[in-house]
Amino acid sequence: MSPASRMRTAAEGEGRGTRHSPGAERGEGEQRALLEVTDLAVEFRTPDGVVRAVDGLSYRVEAGRTLAIVGESGSGKSVSSLAVMGLLPDTARVARGSVRLAGTDLLTLSRKEHRARCGEQVAMVFQDALAALNPVHTVGFQLTEALRARRGLSRADARRRAVELLDLVKVPNAKARVKEYPHQFSGGMRQRVMIASALAMDPDVLIADEPTTALDVTVQAQVLRLLAEIQAERNMGLVLITHDLGVVAGVADDVTVMYAGRAVEQAPVVPVYTTPAHPYTRALLRSIPSAAGTGRLPVIPGRPPSPAAMPPGCPFHPRCDAARDICRTEVPPAAHPAEGRMSACHFASDIMAGREPAPEAGVTTSASGTSVPGPKGDPDD
Amino acid sequence: MGRYILRRAVQAVGTLLLVMFLLHLLTTVAIQLNGNPAQAFFGDKVATPAQIAAVEQRFNLDDPCYDQVGNPCLGPFVERLGQYAQGDFGTNLRGREVSEIVATAAPNTLRLFCVVLVTWLALGMLLGSAAARWRGSAGDHGIRLTSVLIDAFPVFVLLIVYRYVVAVPLNGWAEDTFGENSWPPYWFKPSFDPDHPWATVVVPGILLGLAGSAAFIRLVRASQLESYQGDHVRTARSKGLTERRVVVHHVVRNSSVPVVTAVGLTFAEALGGAVITEGLMNIYGMGGVLWEAVRNDDVGLVLGVVTLLAAVTVVVMIVVDIAYALLDPRIRYE
Repeated sequence: MSPASRMRTAAEGEGRGTRHSPGAERGEGEQRALLEVTDLAVEFRTPDGVVRAVDGLSYRVEAGRTLAIVGESGSGKSVSSLAVMGLLPDTARVARGSVRLAGTDLLTLSRKEHRARCGEQVAMVFQDALAALNPVHTVGFQLTEALRARRGLSRADARRRAVELLDLVKVPNAKARVKEYPHQFSGGMRQRVMIASALAMDPDVLIADEPTTALDVTVQAQVLRLLAEIQAERNMGLVLITHDLGVVAGVADDVTVMYAGRAVEQAPVVPVYTTPAHPYTRALLRSIPSAAGTGRLPVIPGRPPSPAAMPPGCPFHPRCDAARDICRTEVPPAAHPAEGRMSACHFASDIMAGREPAPEAGVTTSASGTSVPGPKGDPDD
Repeated sequence: MGRYILRRAVQAVGTLLLVMFLLHLLTTVAIQLNGNPAQAFFGDKVATPAQIAAVEQRFNLDDPCYDQVGNPCLGPFVERLGQYAQGDFGTNLRGREVSEIVATAAPNTLRLFCVVLVTWLALGMLLGSAAARWRGSAGDHGIRLTSVLIDAFPVFVLLIVYRYVVAVPLNGWAEDTFGENSWPPYWFKPSFDPDHPWATVVVPGILLGLAGSAAFIRLVRASQLESYQGDHVRTARSKGLTERRVVVHHVVRNSSVPVVTAVGLTFAEALGGAVITEGLMNIYGMGGVLWEAVRNDDVGLVLGVVTLLAAVTVVVMIVVDIAYALLDPRIRYE
């Protein structure tokens, strides 16, 4: 795939007049998006009032490509995928935005139609397979439940299909194991079952919500490899939601980094690792342990803001090592520091180039009470 | 599965023997401390020692151990077990076979319980499921309020109001409307009629079931709410299944274990209990029989009835255990 066909994403900051229109920025020969999320905002009703868990998220998923959505817990990455699937809890609602699946905006459909459409074309792999599979039904039943209910498969056909699906995800002795229950499977095998069940309806898009978090490290690698293989084989679009930037490098084509409900950086995977354009991405990369690493692992000081008490300006500024005055007052618009890249930072170009943004006249970083002192070393590492 | 059932059955037999032995010990101590129940046979009359001895022999109370406080009387216990094994549960003080008394009384109690159970399941499952599915809605609040109101209203008040205020006019109205020998007048008959055991037990059963359904509604609601929160329900929805299918296969099905527990427990309780309902509505059932037996110091009858009740309870518990295993595979393979 040529670099020109790399996914181009644009998260337009709210209040900006120009809405990203599909196709407007894309060159010829680019693939049509299977799934296109535009300016999605999700709100939760809480006892403390309405809080916004996802704010202005946009991304595109294309056939045969993997989009990784990376973020800390609470950054809205799971909530946004639940919104795509129509599975938001009753306390949440989509405040604005659209989710286009093969041209149809799912959010304009009734919840019933929305789920039915997703059942056909978008499948989801959940994090904790033990909880996500029903303990009282056999694995075979759960694998083919949708096929039987929606496609009217006979019992015998369903059983055959269930064995095929288990074979597909490389569960040994599939024929015998379809009759077993989820608790009789090991963690890794259970996650394979979960993946098989997601593949049952031959989806165009697979959303995997932290599919490896509950697994051993060795099993994690196997499951990821399996996902990547299946995705390549079937030319599916894959959305991989994870909090582990280390997982992303090997499998993703494109990366969306989320922070406090917003996409802070969107880019193809290689430049994200080599030249991060947002201080948050940069800090995340520094905190990945490396085999050669010596001394203490750098951590991002502080905590992500609660969605109920979002700081003014850039939501990341209290933890940012490059924060300037403007960051405390102005929400950074989506900047495009390079072709196909987006960074919601006032100093995206500086960060990408490995420069510290110029200190503002008369004000130094250390004099500011809210900013966290940045590391003294050269950030260009 | 076979081994599971076998293990439960062996446990059940052990439990039954233990219950019978405890019962035997308690009655033995009671006889040793309170004096000879053969006296009760004569009521207020004064009996000669020879007459008492004859009665003692007839009711197997002649063993000298009954006069020695602290003696566990193992001899008569083993003897009685032998009789039970042959299907001989002894007689009451008037010489009627205990098994015959139970054969007459138990079906009425079972009829009552059937009606109670159906009322229960219908109300509990429907209202409980509705409350869980539309939780937080006006309907949910209404159902919960109703269940608290029912709880606050004791069953005997319900029955007395029914019997003395509602039943007679309804009965009269039904006779006028449908004719004297049709079914409806019997439904509203204020007391039990052995010739129409089903018809006359329906309304008392529904009322008793209504009273019991309050807790059941809340149980069903709570256990289904827990299921709704489950990740597996979200998975089922993500497959694009209809909400109906999700509710039936992933919510109701998953919350069925507590429901079966409650049904099993009440069944055992209802067999011996429902004394108030049976008494108020003149239903000749197990509750009444046991009540009379205790009042009359009828040791033979008490022992026979309680043993049978214990046996039924144990069987019900086995059925409940098997139902668990069928409903939840995680229990099966433990």
